[in-house]
Amino acid sequence: MEMMRVNGVEVEDTFAEAFRMWGCRVIITAKNQKWADTAAMEMTGFATSVIMCDCEAGIERRLSEDETPDGRPGTAVIVFAHSKKTLIEPLVRRIGQCVLTCPTTAVYNGIPEEEADAMLDIGKRLRFFGDGYQVKMRLGDGWLRRRRFWRIPVMEGEFLIEEILGAKKGVGGGNFIIMGVDEDSTLEAAERAVEAIHRVPGVITPFPGGLCRSGSKVGSRYPFLRASTNTPFCPAIKHTYPESQVPEGVNSIIEVVLNGLDEASVRRAMAEGIRAAVEVEGVKRITAVNFGGKLGKYQIYLRDCLGGEVS
Amino acid sequence: MMELRLKPKVSGLSIPLEAEVISPDVIAGKTLREVEELRVYHGNRAERLGEYFEVEGEVAAEPGEQLIVVEGDVSWVKYIGAGMTAGKVVVKGDAGMHLGSKMSGGEIIVEGSVGDWAGAEMTGGLIRIGGDAGDLLGAAYRGSPEGMRGGCIFVEGSAGYETGTGMRRGLIVIGGDAAPFTGAHMNGGVIFILGRAAKRLGAQMKGNGSLIICLGEVEELLPTFVYDTTYTPTFMRIYLKTLSEKLGIKRAEEYIGRPFRRYRGDRAVGGDGEILVVERG
Repeated sequence: MEMMRVNGVEVEDTFAEAFRMWGCRVIITAKNQKWADTAAMEMTGFATSVIMCDCEAGIERRLSEDETPDGRPGTAVIVFAHSKKTLIEPLVRRIGQCVLTCPTTAVYNGIPEEEADAMLDIGKRLRFFGDGYQVKMRLGDGWLRRRRFWRIPVMEGEFLIEEILGAKKGVGGGNFIIMGVDEDSTLEAAERAVEAIHRVPGVITPFPGGLCRSGSKVGSRYPFLRASTNTPFCPAIKHTYPESQVPEGVNSIIEVVLNGLDEASVRRAMAEGIRAAVEVEGVKRITAVNFGGKLGKYQIYLRDCLGGEVS
Repeated sequence: MMELRLKPKVSGLSIPLEAEVISPDVIAGKTLREVEELRVYHGNRAERLGEYFEVEGEVAAEPGEQLIVVEGDVSWVKYIGAGMTAGKVVVKGDAGMHLGSKMSGGEIIVEGSVGDWAGAEMTGGLIRIGGDAGDLLGAAYRGSPEGMRGGCIFVEGSAGYETGTGMRRGLIVIGGDAAPFTGAHMNGGVIFILGRAAKRLGAQMKGNGSLIICLGEVEELLPTFVYDTTYTPTFMRIYLKTLSEKLGIKRAEEYIGRPFRRYRGDRAVGGDGEILVVERG
């Protein structure tokens, strides 16, 4: 494998294999940031990977009062699934159980119709929680952009949700792997990478804190398990695993996984993340996970992401 | 936009002039001479527009590019902008009855007051009235099941009787006071009253999201409207922001976060529309 060097750190000339996924941005507002964040965290829980979760979800960023439709603090969440169809159910369930139930929250569309590939009937489905007492709110008929909302009575007051939410074809499974001399340096590099990634709009990191320490590989020796940890990259077995890919001197590895609403955002976020990671002393090498190009639609080469900054 | 100016040659006709030709849809694509020849009705006589107005300025090829400026008081002219679909009409004074009735797009600005039936049965577009509105603003014509079905009317002053009667969709904002029977027979649509709301508000209102929001005093509510609760609904912020940002009603922002009393009715007809009244003090 050919190597490049960025800030003195080896970067393998390889690619991250990413997949077509459908993404939906949900804007959650609340009386204050605490409750918007609370709802967002609940809604994005247990949504790291479609290997075993119904979707992949994460918090994109906080929104100021000037950025939200109702002028309250907000949090933007993006939810990804394999298809438009499989995206609907997790959205309905998660908003229904995690946001509708959360005090003072409201939900708005985060992808305008002109930018969306499809509009999903999410509020329209959730309205039935009102048991017939829900009220349709109309806005803009014949003079502004036509919008529909549902007002659902709840014990605390009223839950407001936009009738349709925009979804678009995005990219899931953007990734890179940080290899370091020890746990501290690797973790610090990974944390810095995630911080940098979150400055790119339209991107989320669905794993805990944005990081996947287990990695994953397709299949396992057990017939009932369709994926297992990425054993070739586990330092603990680097001298006993026959096809270990852990370089000498590397004792801790973390994978950064990211999904984006478009390929360009994922590329940019990967680049920002790698550049932040290689600033940390102790980082030995950066690489990416792929399946030989057999599974994913997108092959995002690290050298392309990093552009002319390879030295 | 290309501006065409109409200067009234007469004033205060006792018999009003019917001039639905004062519309971008009719005027766009014509020559000035052809505009002068457009037919208007004075009583039962068909006459030329040019007999009542001096016509000057430019004519656009498409209605959407046409601005018509009526310079002066034309309270004796009915049907200005009636049925228009695009473009803009500005009246620098008062306008007569049926202004913008059945319009579906574009914008009408009246610097003065308007007569009855303004915006009646309109389905789209925006009407701004700087003064007061007569009776039956945005209402249904007699015998018609539905009044306004879209668009927005903003009256800075007060509005007359039966505003929004039979309203189905759209938004009416009354900056001043609302006369009795505002929102009667509503079956959808939203009416904001920033001034005082008179009696019989929402009489025989049905449901379908019908909503009257009172930011001022309410003279009296019908007993067939049932008080539910006093609360601070989130959706109100959306409407109030729209009033402020899209219509320039900055004082609407003062009501963001204020509690409202929610009444539901008109139970006399099994309706489940709403009247929300801002909590005073």
